[in-house]
Order: sequence, then C-alpha cells, then structure tokens
Amino acid sequence: MKTTLRVLLILTLGSVPAWAALGQYEASVSADQQYMKSEDHVQVFQAYKVHTLTTPNGTTVREYVSPQGLVFGLSWTGRFMPDLHQLLGNYETNLQTATPAQTQIRHLRGLTVKTSDFVYTNFGVMRMWKGSAYVPSLVPSNVSVEVVR
Amino acid sequence: MNRKIFSTGTFARFFIGVMVLVVLASCGGGSGGSSTSTTITPATNNSVALTVGFGPNGQSSGITNGLFTTVTVCQHGTSNCATIPNVLVDTGSVGLRIVSSEISSLMLPTIADQTQDELVECVQYGDTSYSWGPMQLADVQIAGETASNIAIQALGAAPSSFTVPATCLTTPVNPNLPNGGNEDTVATLGANGILGIGDAAWDCGTSCVGITTGSTYAGYPYYICPTGQACEEIGVPTSDQAVNPVAFFSSSDTNGVMIYLPSVGATGATSVPGTMYFGVGTQSDNALGTATLYAMDPCGYFPTVTYGGLAYTDTSCSSGTGGIGGILDTGSNPLFVSDATTLGSLGISDCAQGTAGYGYYCVTNGPATLSNIALSGYNGVGSGNVSLSIADATTLFTANPTFAVFNNLGTDSGTSPATDFFDLGLPFFLGRTVSIGIAGGSVPNGASAPYGFVAF
Repeated sequence: MKTTLRVLLILTLGSVPAWAALGQYEASVSADQQYMKSEDHVQVFQAYKVHTLTTPNGTTVREYVSPQGLVFGLSWTGRFMPDLHQLLGNYETNLQTATPAQTQIRHLRGLTVKTSDFVYTNFGVMRMWKGSAYVPSLVPSNVSVEVVR
Repeated sequence: MNRKIFSTGTFARFFIGVMVLVVLASCGGGSGGSSTSTTITPATNNSVALTVGFGPNGQSSGITNGLFTTVTVCQHGTSNCATIPNVLVDTGSVGLRIVSSEISSLMLPTIADQTQDELVECVQYGDTSYSWGPMQLADVQIAGETASNIAIQALGAAPSSFTVPATCLTTPVNPNLPNGGNEDTVATLGANGILGIGDAAWDCGTSCVGITTGSTYAGYPYYICPTGQACEEIGVPTSDQAVNPVAFFSSSDTNGVMIYLPSVGATGATSVPGTMYFGVGTQSDNALGTATLYAMDPCGYFPTVTYGGLAYTDTSCSSGTGGIGGILDTGSNPLFVSDATTLGSLGISDCAQGTAGYGYYCVTNGPATLSNIALSGYNGVGSGNVSLSIADATTLFTANPTFAVFNNLGTDSGTSPATDFFDLGLPFFLGRTVSIGIAGGSVPNGASAPYGFVAF
C-alpha cells in the first residue's frame, strides 16, 4: 500500500516543485497538498490568497500567497507538527543557523526566530502545536503580517 | 509477512524479557495480596519535595528555572527499584520518560508485538530537539503513591539500528545542538527524565489508536521497526501509551497535582525548595481553600486572556487558526507572553544575539510590569487578574551567574497579537500554590470543568 502510494505521488506531482512552499510559486502548494494527503480550501482576499490544507492527522496548515503568486507566509496548528522540511524549503537553513545552541537559553517548548528576511515562531506542548513563518520581503506592501495566523 | 498482523491498525502487546520478570517475581516473595492485617490504613503520603534549580548539569549547561523531583521506578511487583533524582516536573506533557542509564539496573519488559518488534516513541520538542526510546512497563512510586505496571519511555534504549523516522522529526533539527539535537542522555536532556503530569491521562489518547501504516502525514509519535525495514508508524491502544502516573495512582489522589513554590527576589536565587501534593481536594493537605478555580477549554487552555486592551483568545481550538489563549506550564522556563513588538512601549525587546540573554526579553530602564492581565475560564468558570514582571535577562544572567531561579524571565509567545498567547511558565509558579486538574477527573467544589482545571 505504501509503495503504491509513493508511486502515485511521483506520477501526480508532474512538473510542479516537489518540495517547499515558503518563497515558492503558488503551484508548490499543490505539492504540499498531495504530500500531506489533504484537502485544499482556497480563500481569495483583495490583496492575497489563503490555501488551507487539513491533514488526515487533523493538523491545519495555511499558506498565504501574494498577487505575484509567491507563498509569503505559513501557519500551522494541530495535535501534531506538520513537516516543516516540506513547508519551509530553502528557509530551513535560516531556522537551523538561528536555533540557539547554548543550553542556558534553551527552552524545549518553543522557539522564535526573527531575522531580516525570515520570521518564525513555533510552540508545542504535548498534543498541541502551533506556529507560523513568513518572509518579510515577500509580504505584499498593503498586507499586515498579522494575516499570517 | 511482519506487517500482516498490523493490518487492523491495532497493536497487540507482548513483552520482551517477560520470562525474566516472572523468575524475579517468584524469587522476591513476601509482597502483596496475602495480608490479613486489620491495621487501619493511614492516609497516603501524597507530598514530594521539589527543587527549582539548574538540575544535574549544574551552572555550566543546566536548565534555567528547571523544576525537579525524585521518582522511584520498579520492576512490576518486585522491590527491585531505582530511585531517580533530578527528574523534570512538566505539566505541559504527559508520561514518565527516564534516561535509560538511570534504570539500567532494572530489567523492565519492553512492550512489543508478537514478532518481538519493540514499540518505540519519538517526541520532538518545540526547540527542534527530540527524544527517542522504547516503551516499557514499570511500577512508578512517588512519595507514598504508586502507579502499578504502567507504560513509561526508556530514553535512548532503542537499538542503534532503529533510525529515528523522518515522519517524527518534522522540524529541521539543528545539527549544531548538543548531540545533534538528540535529548536521550542526561548531558543533553539536562535531567534524568521527564515526569509529564499535564491535564490528560495519556500522551496521545484515542488519536493514536486507529492508525494504520502509511496513514499518517507528520509528527506521529509511535513506531515499530521490523528487522531490516525502516521504522513505521503503528496504532497503539492507550494502555501502551505513555501515561500520566498521577491518573493511575492506586490512591484517590488521581485528579491532579498541587504545586507550592516559594517566592524569590527580583534578582533571582540559586535554587529553591518546593512541595508537590498529589490530588486536589482529596486530602487535608491539598484543599483548594480560597483559590480561584478556572475551567479549561476543550483543548486544555484558558479560552481568553486579556491584556493591554487586546484579547488573546484560543481560536486554535475551535477553528484551527490563531492563538491559544493562555496556559500554565512548569516545563516552560520563561513566561512566554505576547511578543516584543507589542510590548515595546514597556521597554521590552528581544535580547540581541551574542548577549547573555539571547532568546529572552531584554528591558530598558528596569523591570517592566504587565498589570491587570485578565484570565477567564471556560464557560465563565473562574476569572481573575494577575500581573507579571519582566526583567532584563542579560542583566539577570550576568549579575548572578550562579542563579538558576528567576520569577521575571520572559520571551515571545509569537510574532504578533494574531498568534500570541500567555504561557504562564515556571516563573509564575514562584510564590504561589498552583493546582492542575486532569481532564475527566473529579473537580473540587462541584465546579463544572470537564476538560480539566487550574486553580491558584
């Protein structure tokens, strides 16, 4: 069953990017959707679009798309953390380099990272995870970052 | 062939090493079951000493505001036990997890399926680190309380051939973290184990029962690792999941805990003692008295926290987006409250990278006070105001490097009020008696709190 599913995924991904949403074109959302085996509900606002993906695990991922067609923000909430390797894409390295490595500042619960072009926050107690990430330079000028929620 | 037996998605429990256990039990003799004594049973000793401090790793690499206690783990039905100090007390998780080197003198049966594939759990933490280890059965004793034959996790005891599955490690683990982000040793975990005594009886509950291989997407905790194959997710009955030991105590002190910690001064303290009582309103020493009881919402949070004219509401629980209101958590070493931008008018900012306080709030012109933080319980059960002090973390750490306990350490909960919340972490517990009630347990004073409660 697992093998069959993987084959199907490879076939259906076609020409859209198979990896990453943040900073990528809107087409990458469908790769995430298929990877997460989720429904995709789209809401269109005046200055941006939101794709809401809900996984079979019950985790909800929102992807925020600019008029230029780029994913400028993400948010997630649910009992389990979504696959942030998939969702952060190239921005994964920003998270890794900014993660505090000193023990005194460590807090197991969560982490907020703010750099000039990558803002990330993630917090989890058992059975509840929530977080968001956005790329300030990609947020439309007439849109508040608070829409990423 | 191995997979066939899991096609129903249920996990049949068998024990690796169970024969050893039977032999030991039969040699032990003497305990349990046969007593005909008429002595009146005294009230169960329900209090255990706590310490707030750096923990076993000390000043150099310990945990700031770490809350610790001592737990005794025994082979079921025997007096073959290990007494383990410096176990982190965490009301934000559920389940007892012990670094395996601390229980190496015991031969605890590992939960496995009928082909002897061990049940292994993966826990990833919010800072991108993780723990990984098999589920084992043990008797757990704290103070005079006993939870008999419950599932605990032995951190680091999984065979090295078991590669931690990518479906668990869903957040990019920072390879620069000690031990690559793995928290299965005392040196990396900063504790000999974690005593998860949050507001539920099981760490996953029914969400992990009906799982079939390949059906989960990410973040799932339970796996088996058949010989020669990658580890794969497996459905697990609640009886094999990591459980809240308090909910399974043999006494009547099963509805939660009451934690007392003394106050500390504004510059902090090296360490402070405290006391944890098991049960809330079940004995003379854990009565609520005049404390306000707040019912938690269906997700276990304060549904609304209002501060500075903004309502931080738990919309995640009902709509899957936005904030989570507020929580109480001993396992949060700072106060995760609002965000630095929103609190900027109080002189609060994020401590700069490279400073001692990096990762926490810094404050210009002395400590900032967040007053009149209004807390509301679910369905109006409980309301009240608290105030919090936030000090400059760099000053706190550099002025007194030997201090581990601070009641005014804060950090961001999010990046804007749309996603922010109020996590009243360990600093909030200092100078208070705080009760945490387990969902579904009895509620003192007849209050309506079906999803658990807190009181202080």
